[in-house]
Amino acid sequence: MTSERIFVTRLAPLLASLGLLIVWQLASLALDSDSFPTALEAIRVIPSLLGDPETLINFAASLRRMAIGFGVAVAISIPLGLLMGRSRAVASFFNPLLMIIYPVPKAALMPFIMLWLGVGDIAKTLVIFLGVSLPVIYHSFEGAKAVEEKMLWSGAAMGLSSAQRMVRIVLPAALPEILTGCRTGLVLALITMVTSEMIARQSGAGNILFNALDMGQYDTVFAMIIIIGALGICLDGAFERVRRRLVRWSDPQFDIPLSFS
Amino acid sequence: MNARLVTGNLLLGVIPIAMVIALWQALVSFSYAPVTLLPSPMHVFERLVQQLLNSAFQQEIVATLFRLFAGFTIAVALGVTTGLAAAANPAVNAVVRPLVRVLAPLPKVALYPALLLLVGFGHESKIALVTADALFPILLSTYYGASTVERKLIWSAMAAGTPGRGILFKVVLPAAAPSILTGCRIGLVISCIVVFLAEMITSTDGLGHVLVTAARTFQAVDMFVPLITISLLGLILNGVLEAVRAYLLRGFPEV
Amino acid sequence: MNVKPSQSDLQPDVVAQGARATAMVEVDSVSQIFQTSAREDYLALSDISLTVAEGAFVSILGPSGCGKSTLLYVVGGFVNPTKGTARMKGKPIIGPGPDRGPVFQEFALFPWKSVLGNVMYGPRQQGVSRATAEAQSRSLIEMVGLKGFENFYPKELSGGMKQRVALARTLAYHPEVLLMDEPFGALDAHTRTRLQNDLLNIWERDRKTVLFVTHSVEEAVFLSDKVVMMTRSPGRIRQIIDIDLPRPRRRSELLLESRYQKYVVDIERMFDDSNVNEL
Repeated sequence: MTSERIFVTRLAPLLASLGLLIVWQLASLALDSDSFPTALEAIRVIPSLLGDPETLINFAASLRRMAIGFGVAVAISIPLGLLMGRSRAVASFFNPLLMIIYPVPKAALMPFIMLWLGVGDIAKTLVIFLGVSLPVIYHSFEGAKAVEEKMLWSGAAMGLSSAQRMVRIVLPAALPEILTGCRTGLVLALITMVTSEMIARQSGAGNILFNALDMGQYDTVFAMIIIIGALGICLDGAFERVRRRLVRWSDPQFDIPLSFS
Repeated sequence: MNARLVTGNLLLGVIPIAMVIALWQALVSFSYAPVTLLPSPMHVFERLVQQLLNSAFQQEIVATLFRLFAGFTIAVALGVTTGLAAAANPAVNAVVRPLVRVLAPLPKVALYPALLLLVGFGHESKIALVTADALFPILLSTYYGASTVERKLIWSAMAAGTPGRGILFKVVLPAAAPSILTGCRIGLVISCIVVFLAEMITSTDGLGHVLVTAARTFQAVDMFVPLITISLLGLILNGVLEAVRAYLLRGFPEV
Repeated sequence: MNVKPSQSDLQPDVVAQGARATAMVEVDSVSQIFQTSAREDYLALSDISLTVAEGAFVSILGPSGCGKSTLLYVVGGFVNPTKGTARMKGKPIIGPGPDRGPVFQEFALFPWKSVLGNVMYGPRQQGVSRATAEAQSRSLIEMVGLKGFENFYPKELSGGMKQRVALARTLAYHPEVLLMDEPFGALDAHTRTRLQNDLLNIWERDRKTVLFVTHSVEEAVFLSDKVVMMTRSPGRIRQIIDIDLPRPRRRSELLLESRYQKYVVDIERMFDDSNVNEL
């Protein structure tokens, strides 16, 4: 790619964002409604929001829960998915269970979990854990299934044991697919986090959003949306960069960014 | 498939579900959990059946389904047309692509308060949220399916004299169908989830609202019922879509 | 000159000149039955018995579906025979191992490792130090003609190059037997002939025992000391032909030799006859 094209490709999302903001600004001016602040009004609130210590504490707590939920989910889901991919027995055992859990919105489990585990961090982290697990298991499963048999045979001929083949051949070979699953999981972690905080309002970004709504601070509402949106884009972008470096050796992957709630 | 293998797999698959129910029953029977927090499976099942036959509950189901279908249908219409347009026309592609890159990782649920402000607290905001969330997988899979259609298929059609628009509908669309239908399936699952969640956050009716109401009054049994209902609905709708997919794709090689 | 057919039986065979008459691989009444998805039994191999002497280059030749790859996989230990046994130097074969190194048609390289990484894999697994393994691998990579490509990744290589890497990777852990499963089948004709030449050159150095599966008569005659002709399913050994052509074999000279041509024509004729008989 020529350097000009790279410049344009990087610039395009920025232009798109700018375009959206401009459309927003114009639309809100046209509608001239109290409940629809302009883009500028919303942006103006952002610095004071970010400067407010209580907001920051809420955010920090949210992010911490998200990180732990994501980390634990990935640590458990990848091995499980890999095992399912290579062993029909393991797959048959877990598949139906997972298929039942799949359509259940994990954030919807918040009331249950609150009922049983109270309103602490564990409850919210658990929901995020559940939300992230499924796509990671699924993609690890698919990735492991697709590993070429002959590659494993070559490894066996070299003297690799069954366990070694799993870790040293199946895992790296399935890594592109696994990381796609993790990327989806990351998006889901953010969504589940926000949603669960909207449902079970105690602390966190979702809570701030709805408090502002209740108190009629509409520009804060929109400001929070921008912040959360920016957070999502940054996380996704950062992860993409890491992913690309890790699987430079593979053919380009196409993934459909899923946005489960 | 080998009949032995199928029954074997089925048996193996039933085990974890049975185990969960057994565990559930055990927790209740041995009083490890108070009945107020964890009702027995039997109790839940009875209440479920009771509610399903109850017209008030049925109304809630209808409300949820209405929003689900409306949102999903709009998402399909928008997603497929935009995806096809972007695949066919580089100008459209240049506009759509960066927009998708920016909007896709955004948690659409964060937009919900804005939607509430803009279109009110009724059906519209929920339908809008469902559309927003279901749109992207459908759009992307349509785009992917349409843009990776084998060149030679298109060339064959051109050689046979098919005009441009004809190619789009007679070659590209069918060839992209597997991918589009996969995206629709994902979109459908998302629609089920999102409508339920939106109703949980703010609503006056619908299955999600039923759950939250039950939670506020600590009626554990009544909490399970809408959750199981939406899961069943999701499974049924998924199955229907799978059947439609199998029918539409019956000539295709196994994908 | 007549083709000298020899019946397959359990006696050690006298093979091409230069090889010692010790049995390296023995296949003893092996049959292989697969279960198809229609719940039927499919007889892939039927009562195969074969002896391969040390240092012999043996081709397994037949049409597609005759089970020749299956036979190779049995010797490799990747597939356990339904009936019968396979033995390596007298000991039964129960699983894969570095004494029988495979080279597959699909290359089966590790895409996340560079050329050097792939070739070093076997020796490192055997406990060889990193420095030694690297040095050995580099010389192997040079031997297969890929000097300068050590840091390339499989996705950046052509088919022919990938197969060279696959060969180097297998040779790196010094197997006593090379099992080659239609290794040049996925390559274009030009690359194929080049690799055939290169393979023979490499083989001449230490004369390993080779089992080479192919469906090309010319390839079989050009490369081997013995050609094992197999019938279509159920796979049986039809005939074993000794190829009495001098080594080293140069393609340009051999193609014009009448003995070579006669071998090819005779074998092809035998296949044609069998096709008619089996209609």
